[in-house]
Amino acid sequence: MKVYDGSTAEGASTGEPDRVKVGIAEYRVASGEAVLTTSGLGSCLGVALHDAETETAGLVHAMLPSKDEMESDNDAKFADSGIRELVRELERSGADRARMEAKIAGGSDMLDFSENGSGIGVRNVEVGRRTLEEFDIPVVGEDVGGDHGRSLRLEAHSGTLVVKSANHGSLRL
Amino acid sequence: MKVDIQSLGTFNRLAHEGAEQATRSMCQMTGLDAAVDVTKITLVDRADVGEQLAGGEFVGVQFGFEGELAGDTVLVFDRRGSETIAEALVPGGADDGGMARSSVAEIGNIMMSGFIDGWADYLEASIEHTPPTYVEGTGREILPAGPESTDTESGDADSGLDQVFVFKSEIEWLDESVSFYIYMLPEYDPLAGVIGRHADSEDDAIPVDKLQVFNEMTYDGTQRAAENVEMMTGIETEAEVTQLSFAPIEDVPKQVGTDTYVGTVVEFTGVPSGFLLVLFDEASAVHIAEAMMPVEMDADEFTDQHESAIEELGNIMTSGFVDGWANVLQTTVDHTPPRLVHDMGRAIVDPLAAQVGQHQEHAFIIDSEMRTDDIAFGAEIHALPNEKELREALDELLVERADQTEADVEQIF
Repeated sequence: MKVYDGSTAEGASTGEPDRVKVGIAEYRVASGEAVLTTSGLGSCLGVALHDAETETAGLVHAMLPSKDEMESDNDAKFADSGIRELVRELERSGADRARMEAKIAGGSDMLDFSENGSGIGVRNVEVGRRTLEEFDIPVVGEDVGGDHGRSLRLEAHSGTLVVKSANHGSLRL
Repeated sequence: MKVDIQSLGTFNRLAHEGAEQATRSMCQMTGLDAAVDVTKITLVDRADVGEQLAGGEFVGVQFGFEGELAGDTVLVFDRRGSETIAEALVPGGADDGGMARSSVAEIGNIMMSGFIDGWADYLEASIEHTPPTYVEGTGREILPAGPESTDTESGDADSGLDQVFVFKSEIEWLDESVSFYIYMLPEYDPLAGVIGRHADSEDDAIPVDKLQVFNEMTYDGTQRAAENVEMMTGIETEAEVTQLSFAPIEDVPKQVGTDTYVGTVVEFTGVPSGFLLVLFDEASAVHIAEAMMPVEMDADEFTDQHESAIEELGNIMTSGFVDGWANVLQTTVDHTPPRLVHDMGRAIVDPLAAQVGQHQEHAFIIDSEMRTDDIAFGAEIHALPNEKELREALDELLVERADQTEADVEQIF
């Protein structure tokens, strides 16, 4: 896994921070001036982790709640296994779970056609919270639920998470 | 030929890994950062291959390959992408035409060798490729004509179908918002042979002629939806592109852009069940909604009246489309009332993909588009059927029935 530190030649020459895109069912870790982004979260859950001391951050874009519910070899597709992998990956780049703080966004109820039980968005948020509790990582900011989509931008050095939506403006967590 | 879901999944992964390998080679040589965005296998009308390239100016490198698999593959950059490459290899290289060409050829050669070797490794067979040829052109002209025929067994002359399989990867530069593409157009017979040998069982196999017919019927469904639009708005509208793609479930939301869209979503039930989306980009939605309104409106923003017009339009387009299917499948396909959506494109598709993704790792996606010359207007229809049920429906499908999708407006209203 590549760690982005915002210090590549292109980043320096343009004065823009390195932008690291996180796709659906992916996670990425970055540090320094780099910015992690992910777009189009509907019922998907975005979990941002940040270690202020090492100025390292990680972002996962999970699609479904739990890996136990199905066969798949992609950990990042699920809220539980995705968070676990992200914590490990952050620790490999020097962060410490004891210092990590989490911010979560997404898990909207939009276009949920399920007739019984809770929808995927709600379950993604529940499982996300539960998994963060396993690691004793506090959730210090959140923008979840509702019936609209969101795009995220996470600054690695500060841990600031900017949540944008199509019709509801933007929010800094 | 029959294609089974397992081997389509494997082939998709293989094409994706090949594209990643190729992209890594390029990143190493140039120091640029790029990532493979989407890889999908598409069954599409020959005339619509490369539709996404539209009228842009492209350059690229083309190879022929033969052996276990045969066909053509081409790496396509738009002008700006090729200049970025040339500049990264030799500073100032972008300004020198000859230098730019040889940079593209050099990079292309390395990337595509990686791509083809990946396939050969997996298939444990040799695939030879011809020396690279530098190509340039406008839009889809840059792509090779494609293999002779899709299905020699079913006889194209009779069915009038001319559809080809295309393996396509879209790769995005991280620092520039520029994409480039790898297209692979395999010849039908060797592909059929390879797929046959890699099939786990016959259980989940779908005969290709049925997939082709399914494509046709989707085209007819779209045409019918387009006629409904025309009837309601007086705007002459044509079905444009119809394709059936196969991709990992997490790539499904990427079928739609990141811009804001307006449209309707329904869940349809029966065999198959799934979701159907009718989406308009915001500008199209305003135009088409105003065309439907009895009084002149010149609003700058999307009002409640616009929304209800779109809801109504989405509803009749959905009916037209679904009726086309039901006719061919000779079943009833019911759907929920349309839900209006107005949001980021990918966020609209994401909850639907997640719902389907609870039961399957890959999905068939049916995409079609309609356009008109009269006003700036475009609509996309996307269907996301339950894969297992789609297979069942196709099992029941008699190929001759495809000619019964002729639009019959009286039946709809």
